Amino acid sequence: MRNMEPDQNGAEVPVIELRHVEKHYGDLHVLKDINLRVGKGEVVVIIGPSGSGKSTLCRTINRMETIDAGEILIEGVPLPVEGRELAQLRAQVGMVFQSFNLFSHRTILDNVTLGPTDVLHVPKKEAREEAMRLLARVGVESQAHKVPAQLSGGQQQRVAIARSLAMHPKAILFDEPTSALDPEMIGEVLSVMTELAGEGMTMLVVTHEMNFARRVADRVIFMDAGSIVEENTPDAFFSHPKSQRAKDFLDSIQNH
Amino acid sequence: MSDARTNVRDALYEPPGPRTRRITAAATGISLAGIGVLAALVVRRFAVAGQLDAKYWALFTKGTTWLYLGKGLVGTLRAAAMAGVITFAMGFLMMILRISRLRAARAVGTALVEFTRGVPTLLFIYFFFLVVPQLGVAMPAFWKITLPVAISASGIVAEVLRSGVNAVPKGQREAALSLGMRESSVFLKVVFPQAIRFCIPALISELVIVLKDTTFAYVVTFPDLMQNAKVLISNYDSLLAVYLVVAVIYIFINYLLNRLSDFAAKRRDRGLVVKTG
Repeated sequence: MRNMEPDQNGAEVPVIELRHVEKHYGDLHVLKDINLRVGKGEVVVIIGPSGSGKSTLCRTINRMETIDAGEILIEGVPLPVEGRELAQLRAQVGMVFQSFNLFSHRTILDNVTLGPTDVLHVPKKEAREEAMRLLARVGVESQAHKVPAQLSGGQQQRVAIARSLAMHPKAILFDEPTSALDPEMIGEVLSVMTELAGEGMTMLVVTHEMNFARRVADRVIFMDAGSIVEENTPDAFFSHPKSQRAKDFLDSIQNH
Repeated sequence: MSDARTNVRDALYEPPGPRTRRITAAATGISLAGIGVLAALVVRRFAVAGQLDAKYWALFTKGTTWLYLGKGLVGTLRAAAMAGVITFAMGFLMMILRISRLRAARAVGTALVEFTRGVPTLLFIYFFFLVVPQLGVAMPAFWKITLPVAISASGIVAEVLRSGVNAVPKGQREAALSLGMRESSVFLKVVFPQAIRFCIPALISELVIVLKDTTFAYVVTFPDLMQNAKVLISNYDSLLAVYLVVAVIYIFINYLLNRLSDFAAKRRDRGLVVKTG
């Protein structure tokens, strides 16, 4: 964890900024006037009951979901809506999915090299060397020549993190990265994420792992029914939630 | 059954109990006996009619007969292979139109698919055999059989490929897009290679149909297996013998293709099993 919070020293442009973002699914108002800033090196954790819109919010940032109104800025530049510009922007913002989404027809190594070779035109040999370094970093280098189906869920998710790191992203979005994992595999993924946070990666994490939020987050955002209800440091949020909805939510999960 | 490779067939299959096993065994025995009786009747009929007389089968003792059939077989395989390649290329293009984001392209794709699927193969063959020459286009017999057969199968292949593309989980596309890959790259490097794995068995089944459709070659007098068989029949007057032998050859080739399909499906299942635990 870092002490510095770059968005407080004014001059610095946030890596991710959402201004008055609105989204509807038909009659359902899933994002209501969302305002959010994630500074460089900051780890922001979004929590909230299911259906609160936290996953949707995460997915709007690289336009996996479109928005109806408002603005999304990456390093101060508005998110392009289509074409080459959008692809270039996505290349700079990593994403780790709940269901891993490793390319099932490719080896683990190819999963990590595909982005750099196809998008950044990194020479194959170089991409392979870097991929092996990243796989070693997340502890799955011995699996490099297997296909995803041969790996455990925890291993697959660590590969997914390596795949996203291979693009040298400015920030990584984690969309419930441990929700599809068996309990004993959650720890290995969270420890990779904790290391990343320690190295200064800018991260936006949607999760149900309260201990991770408590230990690693610089800021916790609590969402309910499409709105950001509360935003605070983890200590303040978990010990003194201000809103009744946050209190109810924390009660409901702590009673288990 | 806890094996990760458990496929759909296993999942739907309940191991039979003792009573079911007895019923199955009895039914198998009765069926086999029935088939045996029928086969004996057929063979007896042939014998009575004199079809089994040596004179009708003597042609198969000559090397030239086999050489001629062999040439026909090569013709069949060449036509089927070429038709298969054209079918796949056309099917791919039509599939691309069908999944396009442009409404006009989708409409054209749908029209092409419905047209090629709806018209009987023989009608396409007559078109190339009778109409195309009238338009002043001289075309070798090879193309007069391969093109119509390919066109006729292309719409079905387009739909098979499209169903394969739809079967690829949405997350695969999203993961590729999130890396900054362009739509064309996403499709060619991530989605389609997986789609094709889903539809290899169906594609090979379609290749079997293409191969069988090449028997229409006699219409345009292209020397395939069937056409050469007809020539042998008129030379030796042994209809049944020649047709039986030719049928066995067709069955053998299509059997090999279907084995290939099973093999491909097994290989795919090994690679694409989704494990989430």
